[in-house]
Amino acid sequence: MSYLEYFPSSVLRLLVVVFMLTNANVHADEYSDVNQLIRSEKLGEAMVKVEAFLVAKPRDPQMRFLKGVIQRISGKQTEAINTFSKLTEDFPELPEPYNNLAVLYAGQGNFEKARTSLEMAIRTNPSYATAHENLGDVYARLASQAYGSALQLEGANAAVPPKLALIKEVFKSNIKTQAGANPSPANSSTVATVTPAPAPTKTTPNISPTPSAAPAAPLANPAAPPAPVTAMPSAVTATLPPPPQAKPVVLDKASKEVEAAVLAWAKAWAAKDMNTYLGAYGKEFVPPGNQTRAVWEQERKKRILGKSNITLKLENLNVTVNANKATVKFHQVYKANALAVSSRKTLSLTKQGNDWQITKESTGN
Amino acid sequence: MRMNRYFSTILALLIVCLLFAQEASARKKSGDMDLANAKTAAKKTSLLGQAEARLIEIYQLIAKSESTSALAKAESLVADFPNFQLAQLVYGDLLAARIRPVKSVGDVPELQLKGAEAVLSQLREESQLRLKALRERPASGAIPSEFLALSSSNKHAIAIDASRSRLYLFENQSSGLALIADFYISVGKSGLEKSTEGDLRTPLGIYFITSNLDPKTLKNFYGSGALPINYPNILDTKRGKTGSGIWLHGTPPEQFSRPPKATDGCVVLSNPDLLQIIRTVEVRTTPVVISKRLNWVSQGTTQLTKKSFELALNEWRIAKSNGNVEKALDYYSPDFSSFGMSLPEWTPSLRSEVKKAKGREIVLKDLSMLHWSDSGETMVVTFGEVLAGRLTGPIKRQYWSLQSKQWKIFFEGVI
Repeated sequence: MSYLEYFPSSVLRLLVVVFMLTNANVHADEYSDVNQLIRSEKLGEAMVKVEAFLVAKPRDPQMRFLKGVIQRISGKQTEAINTFSKLTEDFPELPEPYNNLAVLYAGQGNFEKARTSLEMAIRTNPSYATAHENLGDVYARLASQAYGSALQLEGANAAVPPKLALIKEVFKSNIKTQAGANPSPANSSTVATVTPAPAPTKTTPNISPTPSAAPAAPLANPAAPPAPVTAMPSAVTATLPPPPQAKPVVLDKASKEVEAAVLAWAKAWAAKDMNTYLGAYGKEFVPPGNQTRAVWEQERKKRILGKSNITLKLENLNVTVNANKATVKFHQVYKANALAVSSRKTLSLTKQGNDWQITKESTGN
Repeated sequence: MRMNRYFSTILALLIVCLLFAQEASARKKSGDMDLANAKTAAKKTSLLGQAEARLIEIYQLIAKSESTSALAKAESLVADFPNFQLAQLVYGDLLAARIRPVKSVGDVPELQLKGAEAVLSQLREESQLRLKALRERPASGAIPSEFLALSSSNKHAIAIDASRSRLYLFENQSSGLALIADFYISVGKSGLEKSTEGDLRTPLGIYFITSNLDPKTLKNFYGSGALPINYPNILDTKRGKTGSGIWLHGTPPEQFSRPPKATDGCVVLSNPDLLQIIRTVEVRTTPVVISKRLNWVSQGTTQLTKKSFELALNEWRIAKSNGNVEKALDYYSPDFSSFGMSLPEWTPSLRSEVKKAKGREIVLKDLSMLHWSDSGETMVVTFGEVLAGRLTGPIKRQYWSLQSKQWKIFFEGVI
């Protein structure tokens, strides 16, 4: 594990919002517009935009997902369930709709259905921390109900129902393109990792998870990414031994070089050293969303230099090297100004001469 | 993954400890039960009630650290039997184990447990007794010592081991009595050996099923039906015992299975188990032995007792066949009582029977002999008293007791 931290403690954290790091394309603008409207609680307007968009692109998973989120927040539980259910049918590989279905089922008191949905979410994405934490809450609830039945306790369901965390946005990289490769990677979205609220409030689910929770939550990541999920590691109790940190898989020279390159890239980003940062990307790098390299670089400059402080933390680095190609997966915690975004990143690198250069950057597995 | 293995080991250890604790105490009583190995025990689960068999399977999966399969099966079991409290308890444990270590069977958090400690304790007791029944099986071919001889008209027999909370169902096959099923039962809150009305105890002795009550005529409380038994029997009455209404019955809809000691004296089974019995046994002929602790013996062992009793029975039969009333009367006890008649009051009917027989030999058809040992020795005998050359005769029941090493009849009557 290694991390870089600059300007560590002076960042004020009052809100967390879902934030797009780069505007990859026109659609990204539309998604973020809708998100902004949701955040400002202009749900009617948001829905208008959503419906308009879906006329032209009825199948679009991200917009449909946002529709479900709006329905949920508006209290239209049945419609929300419908929306997310259809999404799971059309895009069974996406974990986010399953997670939100679980939140809705839990809200109705149907914890068995919530559990099934969360297990599906985890099946599609084994390292999905939110789903794991939600599942832990659901298990606790189901256990309590079973004990209540066993002991024939009155009001077995009177205990505070757990508040499950709603996901606000689909990871773009979870959406497969026609070519089958990872699509536009540059958007990274908030993973709403939340510990259950201790205070008994039964109202809307946590929309704004506190940022302090996000990086602290121990991610129960399996060290080897393709490992099948055999059992659910828990992420809730303090009595658990800490999950194993990703061990450096190969300690040889090549891996060390790759790791060094990634760390240098992150250091440059945090330092807003645009030359070094952009120089880390090789000639074969394909910018997301059909942008030209030039346009993409402009965007990055705008985004990065526009911040007063940037903090970058890379965790659980996993490096695999094959001759002159390497893949690095890690958990990235990005903080800038009042924002905190945490996501799972994958970088593909190729060795050019003596340097390892980034040829692909994506969020998610 | 690590957590689940941890839990599974702990729970498996707990269950194994429970089982070995039972085994240790069972070893003290010699010659009773064969302690079958796990494979035989697993085979025997086919004899158990369906819900219990599934619960035992879950225990076995836990013991093998297959917690995921165990959880799936537990989920399915409580879906089918939501009022099976013990299954819900185990299901709760399996769910809890996903997120924290489970320290004991029914590891209910203190906050939730408040006020329900007694219920939890009863569920654990039920769990132990069910497991024990699986673990400690009677030797193959062994039968309770009460069943000295059963006639072919006794198609089935029931024996209850009250301390084990277990009912054993037998089929009378050509090769002898065979155990075909056994079930968990509940007995009286105050324990055993009923003697008075309202004492909340289950009687001990040899009984017969007297009728089969239609569940539609009964309160929900009795579940899928009721099989009343003839408490107080002749021996009970002789000893001055009172009370009535001792039935084998089922459970109310909201409770699939009751704690081991929960009833007002009746013997209670889960509804599917009771149904299985009702559909199998014959009313009036099926004996129901209720013992504190059954003594399982090989079918040959009882021969000695049988032979010594049969001598007396035969001598009585011959004396009566020969018309020798005085000799026959030797076999009747001074404290004889039959439907309120003392021996002198009853003797004229004996004489009249002998007279009607006109010297024809008496044959005892469909003879069954049931042996009850407590403070005394009692033999409950049933037969068709048929005169040679005839096809049928009255069905009689006699109660004999051993008095100064002589068997004597203290009740005789047509049933």
